[in-house]
Amino acid sequence: MTTHEIHERLKARFGDDVGPLSEPKIDAFCVVKAERIVEVSRFLAAEPGLELDFLEDLTAVDWPKRNVIEVVYHLLSYRHRHSIVLKVEADRAAPVVPTVEGVWKTANWFEREVYDLFGVTFTGHPDLRRLMLPDDWVGHPLRKDYQEAGGWHGISNVRENPLVELKRLDDQRRAEAAAKAAPPAAPDAAAAAPKA
Amino acid sequence: MNAPAIKNQDLSKGPGRTARGVVLATLAVGFGLPTILLAAVLVLSPLSKPAMLAAALRAAGVDVSGWSQTGQYALWLVAMAVLALILVSFGAVISGMTVWWEMRVSARMQSRIGYNRVGAAGFFQWIADAVKLLLKEDLIPADADRLLFRAAPYFVLVGFALVFVALPFGESLIAADLNVGIFYITAVTALVVVGILVAGWSSNSKWALFGGMRSAAQVISYEIPAGLAVMVPVLMSGTLSMQGIIRSQGAWPWEWHALTNPFALVAFAIFFVAQLAEGNRTPFDLPEAESELVAGYLSEYSAFRFALFFLVEFGNLWVMSAISVTLFFGGWQVPFAGPAVFEAARGTGDLPGLGWWGLQLASMLVFVAKTLVLLNVVVWVRWTLPRIRVDQMMSLCWKYLVPFAFVCFVATLLWQILVARVPATAPVVGGLMLVAAVVAGFSFLRLTRRNISAVGDRVDFTNW
Amino acid sequence: MAARMDPGIGGEVTLLHTSQLDNLINLARASSLYYLTFGLACCGIELMQTGGPRADLMRFGAIPRASPRQADFMIVAGTLTYKMAERARLLYDQMPEPKYVISMGSCSNCGGLFQLGYSVCKGVDKVIPVDVYVPGCPPRPEALTEGLLRLQEIVRSEPWSTKRRPAAQAEGA
Repeated sequence: MTTHEIHERLKARFGDDVGPLSEPKIDAFCVVKAERIVEVSRFLAAEPGLELDFLEDLTAVDWPKRNVIEVVYHLLSYRHRHSIVLKVEADRAAPVVPTVEGVWKTANWFEREVYDLFGVTFTGHPDLRRLMLPDDWVGHPLRKDYQEAGGWHGISNVRENPLVELKRLDDQRRAEAAAKAAPPAAPDAAAAAPKA
Repeated sequence: MNAPAIKNQDLSKGPGRTARGVVLATLAVGFGLPTILLAAVLVLSPLSKPAMLAAALRAAGVDVSGWSQTGQYALWLVAMAVLALILVSFGAVISGMTVWWEMRVSARMQSRIGYNRVGAAGFFQWIADAVKLLLKEDLIPADADRLLFRAAPYFVLVGFALVFVALPFGESLIAADLNVGIFYITAVTALVVVGILVAGWSSNSKWALFGGMRSAAQVISYEIPAGLAVMVPVLMSGTLSMQGIIRSQGAWPWEWHALTNPFALVAFAIFFVAQLAEGNRTPFDLPEAESELVAGYLSEYSAFRFALFFLVEFGNLWVMSAISVTLFFGGWQVPFAGPAVFEAARGTGDLPGLGWWGLQLASMLVFVAKTLVLLNVVVWVRWTLPRIRVDQMMSLCWKYLVPFAFVCFVATLLWQILVARVPATAPVVGGLMLVAAVVAGFSFLRLTRRNISAVGDRVDFTNW
Repeated sequence: MAARMDPGIGGEVTLLHTSQLDNLINLARASSLYYLTFGLACCGIELMQTGGPRADLMRFGAIPRASPRQADFMIVAGTLTYKMAERARLLYDQMPEPKYVISMGSCSNCGGLFQLGYSVCKGVDKVIPVDVYVPGCPPRPEALTEGLLRLQEIVRSEPWSTKRRPAAQAEGA
């Protein structure tokens, strides 16, 4: 079944809650309304002939100009070897999307990752917490307006350019060598103690 | 950058050649150190018995028969203390050399170079390791049970050292020929379990605890088939004493226990496997499985305490090989030199003559050679076989080794009756088994060479 | 030779027999450096290969130990994230003195390829003091071996009895 046909059946079932199929038709997607995503998912996963029972990926895109965060669902069927992509647009100020963890268990971690990196809250998720970043991290890094907080737990996040650093150390050592080579003033022997 | 030239660690004269001085020093220490210790054992162990001690001192001009009882006891105690020191030093040195040998063999088996910097063929590496471990900071984890944490290595060390009391080195070269020798050894090696459990528990770390529990389960389980397998040569010899078991065997292979009675050979196999498990050697090294338990019950030990555990583990190789040789492979029996020869050389004087000492030396060399061969087999097995899981290990012990050990035990009872009735059975079966063993040995070598040439490789010793 | 500096006299006073002992002890210490395998990423693969047949680290007496209590030095091989940096600090603290650190690869030297990453710690020397930096992405086994040789050089030239590391020597913290 082609993606177009899947979309036809989707439209037949859900009508206006499913948007048109995108152009060009590589990984063609359709936009689904946020509040219907769970029923759409259940339909796609269970319907005989569709059986898109494999959630390949669940990720998100941040569109600051359109003021939305799109949550993207890549669905695949092993039995019928067809696929479709769904998108849900969440309001950027307070992104909330119902969880599809009940339909595909793998969404558990995918949604945790999206929460971690974008801040999208998935209602009904049994264990929504950060996945990769430390638990007390502030901010959601993959948002376009993310500013680094300047290190974490006292470890700073600035480092001198290594080339600049090496040149500085080099110059320092050359200066020391020159000071030692020139006849040292008598009480300076202790001052010339080598810095490791 | 004006970095100074690397003063590197390489003590070689040129690529691939070790400096002559280093080679000579290595040979000197490598052969000298064990020779000195073994010579000390050779001389001291017979002389530490009261009668011979008095005779030797009299020969040296000191008459101790006039001393008081306590004086004589004190003298004997001093002699015993010296012997104990020599034996424990021997244990430590042989442990270090076993480490070197094992690392060298493992490197060759894995197509690596192995230790080659510190001394020729890296022989002094164990000394470097020992020095380094002595100089490291002694850490005790904050939440660990301090007393038990400190005590655990000593349990293990004592369990190891006490075995040397009844371990023979030659015909009269044994610290104490207890008439319950092998029973004593089995009992004393159980102290190691206590040490491991205490180490695992007192470290206050879950990895250490798991490792300690697993190791305790393993060692205790394998005591059973080991004990049963030990019963087979005891039955055949009629005595528990170590020297007695050796004396009941002969010097020639068809007179060894393992090659006389086919069930004794099976018992040896069971005993060997059980000893591997008791010594935490691969394939039974689950308690220290690096990939699983970090370092098992040793995870929290550093510096010298760690060195003690290590010393005991590698020293156990010598101990388990020596016990196997004693029980199954004729011990120190010298070919062509039966008990009559020893009696004749002993003479009737207080102190035995030079011939007797020569025979003792011969018996010690035979024993050491056999033990080293078996030690090598243990090292081979470690680097060949993969580690088995804990449930496989338990089922191997209880479902296979224990029943087989019982079968061997009962069969040996029947065998003893058979030999009592038909004395010719022993040498006949012995000869047959020897022939079988020789044939098996040759086929093994032939198969090895065929395997090597089948992959287009050659046997090449030039890299040693 | 490990010289003892006497600042009052203003010259170098060499105590020969002590420094010979220093030499011998440092030779033993340098020949038996056990390393804590801290392979985090691609450099970890190269670390494993450096312990492999072609470039055998064990030749120099360097055996991998999994427990920090039994390791002399730590080879930090791979990208360090902030989360991991705390654990690296913990493991470093668990190692008994005297201890050293080899930073292997660009990522642990300075953050490397991922310098601009939000979760990447820009170099392991932000949390633990490093003795030898081995550049490369990943460094070849020969490069890591040279790093080990330089570490041996450091070990052999220090007066071992006074080796103590100051508490917080992390740079740019």
